[in-house]
Amino acid sequence: MPDLDLDLILNGQTIAYFMLAICAIVGAILMISFTKVVHMVVSLALVFLSLAGIYLLLEAEFVAFVQVLVYAGAISILMIFGIMMTRHDRQEEHMVKRARSFAALIGCGALFAVLFLAIRGTAFIDPEAQPLAENNTLRIGELLFTEHVIPFELLSVLLTVAFIGAIVLAKSDHEEGSSSLPKEETPVAKSAPLVPDRKGEEEFQ
Amino acid sequence: MNELIQQTFTWQNGLIFLGWGIVFLFIVLGFVTYAIYFERKVIGWMQYRHGPTRLGPFGMFQTIADIFKLLIKEDTIPKKADRALFILAPVIAYVPAFAVLATIPYTSTLGFADLNVGLLYYAALSSISTIGIVLAGWASNNKYSLLGGMRSAAQMISYEIPLVLSVVGIIMMNGSLSLRTIVEGQGSNFWEWNLFPQIVGFMVFVIAAVSELNRTPFDLPEAESELVAGYHVEYSGFRFAFFMLAEYVYVFAISALTTVLFLGGWHPPLAALDVIPGLLWFVLKFSFCVFFLFWLRATLPRIRVDQLMSLGWKVLLPIALANIFVTAVCLEIFSK
Repeated sequence: MPDLDLDLILNGQTIAYFMLAICAIVGAILMISFTKVVHMVVSLALVFLSLAGIYLLLEAEFVAFVQVLVYAGAISILMIFGIMMTRHDRQEEHMVKRARSFAALIGCGALFAVLFLAIRGTAFIDPEAQPLAENNTLRIGELLFTEHVIPFELLSVLLTVAFIGAIVLAKSDHEEGSSSLPKEETPVAKSAPLVPDRKGEEEFQ
Repeated sequence: MNELIQQTFTWQNGLIFLGWGIVFLFIVLGFVTYAIYFERKVIGWMQYRHGPTRLGPFGMFQTIADIFKLLIKEDTIPKKADRALFILAPVIAYVPAFAVLATIPYTSTLGFADLNVGLLYYAALSSISTIGIVLAGWASNNKYSLLGGMRSAAQMISYEIPLVLSVVGIIMMNGSLSLRTIVEGQGSNFWEWNLFPQIVGFMVFVIAAVSELNRTPFDLPEAESELVAGYHVEYSGFRFAFFMLAEYVYVFAISALTTVLFLGGWHPPLAALDVIPGLLWFVLKFSFCVFFLFWLRATLPRIRVDQLMSLGWKVLLPIALANIFVTAVCLEIFSK
């Protein structure tokens, strides 16, 4: 294990970082411990917004606001699904098995170890060497279309495939005479009667 | 103001920033008060009525009285409502509305933050308000407010995409997301504004913006005749005032954004008129945008939910994408 050198400098950035980190962790814990889906989604929003704040501290403004833009919309959608697919007044009972929580603990520990070692082992570029805040949109664009153009194109193909798949699925439902609308039309109204409670159960476990 | 912002951050500077923020908050509150007054007056005139006339000269103190009434009203929270979220929802709806104003440049010197991702900042923060509206609808524990909240979310998410895509053409022409750079890229004659090269983008932007504001003809989330009042049925007193405030601050924001992006910001319409200060031109264009919204409200009927969705996804989105493509081709041909 690499040696730890935690020499913290107490300035505004550090304080802001710790506040955001605490918000993110509190949000994540509340997300797991709440029982109503809407409460969970709100705490998830807190996590995402705190992460955006951390990106801002790292001078990655573009990434921070894209994070907010994408996840704020995603959270609203998730909230709607949470409202539609779970019962409003039912309090869920938690059935936690001891074996499962032990396995989860080991899994989390392993994940933390892997991430921690990987982060400690990475040689990061010195942030002082290049000013990140200036034109970071331009830099991301340049890198995306020169060095990383092949993964970028592959991703776009993947997304197109997923998109067409969604349309095909929605279409085949439509022809069988069910009441669900095609995917693009109403993100709210689709497939509510088809899968009544499955998503809710997944979230509560 | 730019020199002030670029200083190092100390306690003293922090207090100065806070002071400016509060001054600006009061300017915005003043705008909201008189925007409501003018909305009632303009709609009254368009419908052969007088609008408010009683309180003060020409009824000018009517809105102030209304706000005062809202503030002294009993603050009710329904017994079966989700108390914490019920209280939180107006805050989540309002804070982003005020925060987006930070990045708008009013003149070449007056303005708050010149972010290099200004446009993205606007789009990102305004989408947080949707969460507040859905939460308000859900936390009220009322069928109508839930319906209103759901409609609002569907609408705001669907129209956010054409709204952001419609300004991509401008971003490509200017090579920057900074609102200040976008205004500086436009000239002092009205044919040098982004309005004409980006006329298609402008039309998509206006339609999507009106829809994002939940105003007529896209006011389905608060359709009085079918949903009582939509997501804020159960709200009263100052919490209700906060939703109204958020709505009108977005009117301010979207009008300022339209002015900045398409109507040349502080530039005069003809180079000869350059003697008139830029702030005045900004205010004139901005007021026209606000008036346009009131005008629409007095003129158009509300559209149906299915029409709303098919307009957003089948008309505006393809047009916005085609606009990006055509702009890219034109830039490639003409700028070489």
